[in-house]
Amino acid sequence: MEKLKKNILANFRDIEIYTRQDNRIFINTKKETVLSLLSYLKNTGYDHLALVSCNDWIDDGEFELVYILSVYMEKDEEYQGKEKTNIIIKTRIVREEAKFITVIDIFENAEPYERELHEMFGIKFEGHPRLTTLFLELEYEIPPFRKDFDTDKYVENKYGQIPTIKERKSNKRNERT
Amino acid sequence: MDRNQISKWLKNPAKMANKYSFHVVYFCTGCGIIEIPPSITTRWDAERFGIIPVATPRQANLFLITGYVSTKTLKAIIRTYEQMPEPKYTVAFGSCPINGGMYYDSYNTIKSLDKFIPVDGYIAGCMPRPEAIFIGVTHLWKLIDMDKADGYKRYREDYEFYRENQEQLFGELDWPPLFQNKES
Repeated sequence: MEKLKKNILANFRDIEIYTRQDNRIFINTKKETVLSLLSYLKNTGYDHLALVSCNDWIDDGEFELVYILSVYMEKDEEYQGKEKTNIIIKTRIVREEAKFITVIDIFENAEPYERELHEMFGIKFEGHPRLTTLFLELEYEIPPFRKDFDTDKYVENKYGQIPTIKERKSNKRNERT
Repeated sequence: MDRNQISKWLKNPAKMANKYSFHVVYFCTGCGIIEIPPSITTRWDAERFGIIPVATPRQANLFLITGYVSTKTLKAIIRTYEQMPEPKYTVAFGSCPINGGMYYDSYNTIKSLDKFIPVDGYIAGCMPRPEAIFIGVTHLWKLIDMDKADGYKRYREDYEFYRENQEQLFGELDWPPLFQNKES
C-alpha cells in the first residue's frame, strides 16, 4: 500500500493522499486529473469501479464526486492473501450548471451510475450516450437529491393538493347547483 | 362444510364460492412481500383459507398491495387493477398505503392509495405478520357477506373522479379510460 501511494504521488501533481482506515486510500484531486488517475489505477490492477457517488456541499457551492475503485484479488499478485483495498477518489465541481466528463470510456459500468447522478443531482455528463431517466416517473424542477429541494413543501404541493374522491364528488355537486 | 352456512350457500351460491376461493395477485411492492412466501407455503399454509396465488391479474380476484407505493408502481397498480375481472377486492398492507407512513415526506411515494384506486380493507402493522393477513381475510369474508366490500362498484361508479386524480398526478395517461363517462 505504501508503494502504491508513492507511485501515485510520483506520477501526479496537486493531489492529496491520506488513509483513514487500514484498507482505504482517499485521494483528493482536481477535476482535470480524474480521468488520467482512473486510467492509471485501472492499469495498476484496480479494474473494478464499485460506485460513483455524489455529495452536495451547498454552502461551498460545489458538488463532490466520489469514485470508489476496488481490486479483484486473484488478478493482482501483490494483494494476494491480503485485505482488499479500496481507493476513493474525490473531486469537486461547480454546483451551478454542473457538468463533468463521462468515464464510460475507461469503466463501462459507470453508465447507470452517471445516469442516476444526472437524474438525482442534475449533473450533466458530457459524452454520455443516453442521459434519460432511470428510476423516477415524475419530472422535478429541482432534482430531488439536491440540498435545496424542499421535500415537505413538494409533498404538500404535489400530493396534498390531490383531493379525495368524496371531496371531488361534493365539489361537482356544488358546481351543478 | 359448515352446516351453519348451508342457508347462505342456498341463498347466494355464487357469492359464497367467490368468497372462499380468493385467487390472489401479489403486487411485490415494499417490504410486505417478505411476509408472502411463509404465508403461502407450509408454515402458515394460506390454502386453508382458500387463498391461492395466481400468475396473472386476469385470473385473480383479490389484490394484495404489500407496502408503500411509489409513483412508478402506482401506474402498474392501476393497470393491474383494471385488468382484473369483477368482483375484485383490494387489501393494502401496513401504514404506508394509508397515509404514507414513514415515507410521509418522500418526494416519490404516494401518500394515500385510496385516492387512486378503491381499497376494501387495510391490515395494520409494519409489516403485518401472516396471522394478521388471515385475520384480515376472514374480516373480508364478513364484509362480503354484508355487501360492504364494494370497491369495484365504487370504481365503476366514480371512475371519472378516480381518473381525474390519476391524471392530476401523472399528467396524460397513456391508456384509454376503462369505463365511458356517464351522461351527466
